[in-house]
Amino acid sequence: MNSTQSRHLAFAGLFIVVTVTMLLDISIVATVSNETKRMFDYLDNLPDSSVIIVSFDHEASSLPEMKPLGLVMLRHLFAKDHKLIGVALLAEGTGVGYRLMQETAKEYNKEYGRDYVFLGFKPQFIAAILSMGESIKGTFPEDYLGNATSQIELLSDVNNYDDVAAVVSLADGSLTTHWIEYGNEKYGVQISAAVAAAMLTTYDPYISSGQLKAMVGGLRGAAEYENLLGIGGSGARSMLAQSSAHLYIILLIIIGNFTYFRSRKKG
Amino acid sequence: MIAYEFKILTVLDHPALLTIAINEWLDLAQLPTFLAAVIAILTVLYTTFHRKGREGFKIREIAGLKAVEEAIGRATEMARPILFTPGWGGDIQRPTTIAALNILSSVAEKTAEYNSQLLFPTHDPVIMSVAQEVIAESYNRAGYPERFNIDDTTYVSPSQFGYAAAVEGMITRLKPASIFLLGTFEAESLILAETGNIAGSIQIAGTDSTIQLAFFIVACDYTLIGEELFAASGYLSKDKSIMASIRAQDIMKVIIAAVIILAIISALVVPLSDWWKF
Amino acid sequence: MARLFPQIICGFFGVVLFVLYFLKAPSAKSLYLTITSDYWQIIFAFALLVGVASFIRVNIKKLSILSESPYVITGLLGLFAMPVMALVWGIKGDSPFMWVFENVQVPLQATVFALLAFFVASASLRGFKARSLPATILLISALIALLSRSDIFGWLGNSALEFSEWIRSYPSMSARRGILIGIGLGSVTTSLRIILGIERTWLGKDR
Repeated sequence: MNSTQSRHLAFAGLFIVVTVTMLLDISIVATVSNETKRMFDYLDNLPDSSVIIVSFDHEASSLPEMKPLGLVMLRHLFAKDHKLIGVALLAEGTGVGYRLMQETAKEYNKEYGRDYVFLGFKPQFIAAILSMGESIKGTFPEDYLGNATSQIELLSDVNNYDDVAAVVSLADGSLTTHWIEYGNEKYGVQISAAVAAAMLTTYDPYISSGQLKAMVGGLRGAAEYENLLGIGGSGARSMLAQSSAHLYIILLIIIGNFTYFRSRKKG
Repeated sequence: MIAYEFKILTVLDHPALLTIAINEWLDLAQLPTFLAAVIAILTVLYTTFHRKGREGFKIREIAGLKAVEEAIGRATEMARPILFTPGWGGDIQRPTTIAALNILSSVAEKTAEYNSQLLFPTHDPVIMSVAQEVIAESYNRAGYPERFNIDDTTYVSPSQFGYAAAVEGMITRLKPASIFLLGTFEAESLILAETGNIAGSIQIAGTDSTIQLAFFIVACDYTLIGEELFAASGYLSKDKSIMASIRAQDIMKVIIAAVIILAIISALVVPLSDWWKF
Repeated sequence: MARLFPQIICGFFGVVLFVLYFLKAPSAKSLYLTITSDYWQIIFAFALLVGVASFIRVNIKKLSILSESPYVITGLLGLFAMPVMALVWGIKGDSPFMWVFENVQVPLQATVFALLAFFVASASLRGFKARSLPATILLISALIALLSRSDIFGWLGNSALEFSEWIRSYPSMSARRGILIGIGLGSVTTSLRIILGIERTWLGKDR
């Protein structure tokens, strides 16, 4: 078998593994890791009715992973009666963020303008983070729906990060780093994050330095969080497919090494 | 009419006023960052402009940069283009992008000499404009301005996977002999590197994103790890001032290592000490 | 002069922004934000025009190439259709713009992103070999990390999961910190070289 054929076979195998496990539609209750527990406890211990910024720092492409994470975060925050300010630092997070907040708010009977508000997208993420440190209403004179932010009830006592208990960054890339470098370092606002699984290790150093308060990552993180909240969700439903794909990759690594050692033995 | 009363105090008579003024103006919470920045600036100034600082050192060989000429020569022999892209994660404000453009300058000079086609797709219009300038000037410097084609430096899409799809399409259709993936990459890194691998291109990669380095090491022929990307400009140009500033990095590394060792000793000897938690 | 003037502007703004970062007077903060936000957006807006013009020019030239034309037509169609939809019907709620975004752009992007999984599969098969002792240690660490993320039935005990977290928190993080320090210092010296005018490649001019 040449390299092209073996590659195609590896592709086909992955396709079959993921498709079959997705079709099975089995939810899995994930064992909760310390990392997810820390994030849950951190958000759970914030005083009720705190003002929290939820920043949708992701693109549409990562929705299958980011949506379950976003949903568990919003559900937990709404359940604790926090006042949420939604923003998007990437243009594609705008529509997605508004929809997610709107849908989750309905589940918890939350009212727009009083319990939550979505301010929309601001280009130049570093400048946007810095600017909110001075004035949130100045950075967003209007919300996503075109209402003047000076007239919104939730924002009446909110000027800048001094009035915000925490920022939750939902990121599929490195944008949380900018929240840490500028939001936390310059203005001292507490940052936590729900990130794509591939980004978890990127943020490890910030967790140990305390610049990032807590984080949860990937579909597994979402499934674990759903477990902690005692609700079902797409995180748990996608776990079987993802875990099977991981096991398949392990199998490929073993096959690759087996053929490598066999060819070396043959000289 | 409102009457105002003014009282003028001088700092000499009331030194406390100076403290108030400093507190009003300076962000004292940023003092450690400020001090670190000042040390960095002084170190760079010393190594760059002081005669002693500029002498008596050399940069070790970097395999990825040594292979640049080989990669361009290969493209000439195969009569296939060279593709250079700075990744989706950066913009022109990012030092990594500037470092990538520095390497682009040297690559473009050689492609001009060898008369190879140099493709530069990017996600950012500002990077595109700067890259066009850099490449045009490199062609001028090489003495072949007529070989420069502005349409080879293109803006493809600001969206991450729109950009990835566009570059992937170019690699699949044009089968470049050599690919340079240098800059800030995110999830598109392995998509591009594996596509290049399938196309049989020789690939030189480098990024400041630690997570993507692993992908590049698996899929590319040469990978510039972290700071090697920033040292490339001096390495390729042999410019003494630039090489001297690279030496500043080493001096700062020694300072950082010394602080870390001091902090470890301090934490071991006095467990409650926290002077290093600034 | 063509080189000197941009270099002076660059050096001036480099020093000004550095100083402003450490000041907390409202006027200093306001100036900092004006430069980093407003000025940048003005520059970006004009550069975007140049970028879009370049995109249109390059693609129109490619229209005549048969193998390229389907991609070129799709790209140009998207470029012109989306702004028209946004201008006519807006971009909120159930507008056609959002419909195209959610039903065309999102699935297309997710598809390209999903390719990553396939490439991870082929890279694992080809590149992840126990060629030496360090490579073997890396390989075993990767297998433990993967297994810990796939522990769907609780097969692995708590100690195995903790061992995986230990790998991530200590050996892996130490290595990453080393690389990060190098990158940080590289960024600082590159920035200083530009501000001080030692590095002028970005100007497109002779070093």
